[in-house]
Amino acid sequence: MSRRFIIEPRGLAPWWLKLLIPIASVIAALIIGAFFLMLTGNDWAEVYTKMLDTAFGSGRGFAETLVSATPLILTGVAAAIAFRMLVWNIGGEGQLMFGAIVAAGVGVWLTESTPAFIAIIAVILAGAVGGAFWASLAAVPKVYLGTNEIITTLMLNFIALNLMNYLVFGSFSPWRDPESTQFPQGRPIIENAGVPEFFHRLDWGLFVAIVVAVIAWFVISKTRSGFEYRIVGDSFDTARYVGIKVPKKVLGTFLASGAAAGLAGSILVAGILGKMDPRSLDLGLGFTGIIVAALARLNPIAIIPVAILMGALNNAGPALQSIGVPSATVKILQGAILIFAVAGEFLISNRVRRPDRTPQDIEVEEEAKAA
Amino acid sequence: MNDSVLMLTIVAAIGLGTPIVFATVGEILAERSGILNLGVQGMMLVGAVMGFWATFQTGSLWLGVLAAIIAGAALSVIHAFNSVTLRVSQIVSGLALTIFGTGVAIFIGRVGAIPLIGEPSRAVFKPILPDALADLPIVGPLIFGHDALVYLSWIVVAVASFYLFHTRPGLTVRAVGEDPASAEAAGINVSTVRYTHVMIGGALAGLGGAYFSLALVPSWQDNPMGAAGWIAIALVILASWRPWRALWVAYLFGAAGRVGFTLQTLGISIPASLLAMLPFVLAILAMLVLTSGKRARFLGAPAALGIPYFREER
Repeated sequence: MSRRFIIEPRGLAPWWLKLLIPIASVIAALIIGAFFLMLTGNDWAEVYTKMLDTAFGSGRGFAETLVSATPLILTGVAAAIAFRMLVWNIGGEGQLMFGAIVAAGVGVWLTESTPAFIAIIAVILAGAVGGAFWASLAAVPKVYLGTNEIITTLMLNFIALNLMNYLVFGSFSPWRDPESTQFPQGRPIIENAGVPEFFHRLDWGLFVAIVVAVIAWFVISKTRSGFEYRIVGDSFDTARYVGIKVPKKVLGTFLASGAAAGLAGSILVAGILGKMDPRSLDLGLGFTGIIVAALARLNPIAIIPVAILMGALNNAGPALQSIGVPSATVKILQGAILIFAVAGEFLISNRVRRPDRTPQDIEVEEEAKAA
Repeated sequence: MNDSVLMLTIVAAIGLGTPIVFATVGEILAERSGILNLGVQGMMLVGAVMGFWATFQTGSLWLGVLAAIIAGAALSVIHAFNSVTLRVSQIVSGLALTIFGTGVAIFIGRVGAIPLIGEPSRAVFKPILPDALADLPIVGPLIFGHDALVYLSWIVVAVASFYLFHTRPGLTVRAVGEDPASAEAAGINVSTVRYTHVMIGGALAGLGGAYFSLALVPSWQDNPMGAAGWIAIALVILASWRPWRALWVAYLFGAAGRVGFTLQTLGISIPASLLAMLPFVLAILAMLVLTSGKRARFLGAPAALGIPYFREER
């Protein structure tokens, strides 16, 4: 049987392809978005210009983009480190929210006189602990009972969301501002626990997020523990064979992933929100983190620029309403980016060639192209 | 007797459960063929908006249903292509479908000369049998008082169950979900089976979505269905991949959605957010008890679920 193409798995994809696929995914998504906009009688060029202008056109706009990117770096790291080990933690949403709950709990419980240095660290770490705890509710059953984490993390998202809503909208808990009777709101955390801003609404949380991404990269690629982690990610069997305690490794990764997402929650609470505001914490930041991780191809350093791109989209969305275009345009773009990015993985892990050319021919060609 | 709290709760449970029945049975068919599709929420929402749109344009409920089915199936093709042809991560692809579908639904509802948002539906599914039957004690509201789509959902459940467990093509689907390599050796085209069933799943999810916008909450909102698509994914497990069980668990969750209102009529008030948590807590508890480790296989989880199938080159 003659075939026009042969598809075969390949070992290592050339570096330019790994860069090209995410860029092509974004461009393809923009084309899909333009198609939707044209079909509904909108001027796609105007819409994209408006988005670009909102997100990057001014210092203030760029600051807002970075504000939006900050939690996405962390939820992106959360997804990336888990997915790399085939731990399907899709509970970033819930871990972020529970992190915010614990962080705000500490933030309102501390006395006003607590020194800022201690208060900020306590609140931010509380978020990481909360996120790790929420992840453990899925991680422990996975490791010790074999319970599928995809469904449990998913369900835990909705439990955390409703718990958060209950604490502010459904009860007079310490999380609710006692002075807000008509329109319930979160109780502000103590002033000293607020992360200081340095440029418009942009605060130091951005650097915490970047540091976390760099640490994740360093641990994974430069330490013994990270080396073991990569072995587990490539093959459970190999890892077991060389004596790595796989369950312990999986549990640790899962909890670290939850902690990163929880940190996103506490940085929001201690930063721009200043309280646990359920509406501002239920924006799909966990799921967007999965887009970030996929587009960054699970590389923690690449997550930083990709999160800024997604932050730009999130920041530009509401501005579109001023020109009569639904902000959901941004969601279409993000969904399409993820569809193309995941489809693009096919080209990275497989080579498509014509039968009359050998893999060696193609390698020579690819090297020539890269040079 | 037909107005008793219990009866009213059961009837409401059937209504609230019906869209979830469609979506759950659809996901069962896809998963039985070995493909996990986390895009249910997106496919349902696209079905909901397209069904509403088509009925809004034409005044015809059945054209709305048709549009919803086509929209759900069309979206599911993306997932089938990603997971069957390209064999990339089904989990990420499904999530992408949900994000994309959610965006598309909100977008379509808010554009155009007359945006759909806030508009009431031009037609609504209503009970189809004569009042004389629907007023019979007990069996009236339980069996005779429903709209056409509820009866359709019963037919879908019966047909899906018969198909999966009593026909040759159904056996083929289960074989593909259990052991695609052996199925292929027996002359079955694994890709075709998987494409077909992912698309049937998408069509049923779209139909379930339309039940929200054309029957349960017949005016357009950004999201008329809460997290119904995610609940459907959980119910597949609670139903242990069997269509009849899907019907019962969907009604059980419909009842859970109603129980807050019922308690309120009895003078007990529980915060809405705590009640909204209930289905998800139950799903997790059930998973811990029922589906851990070896018991998952015992329940009937398809062995090849979520695992890409690489055909050996011949």
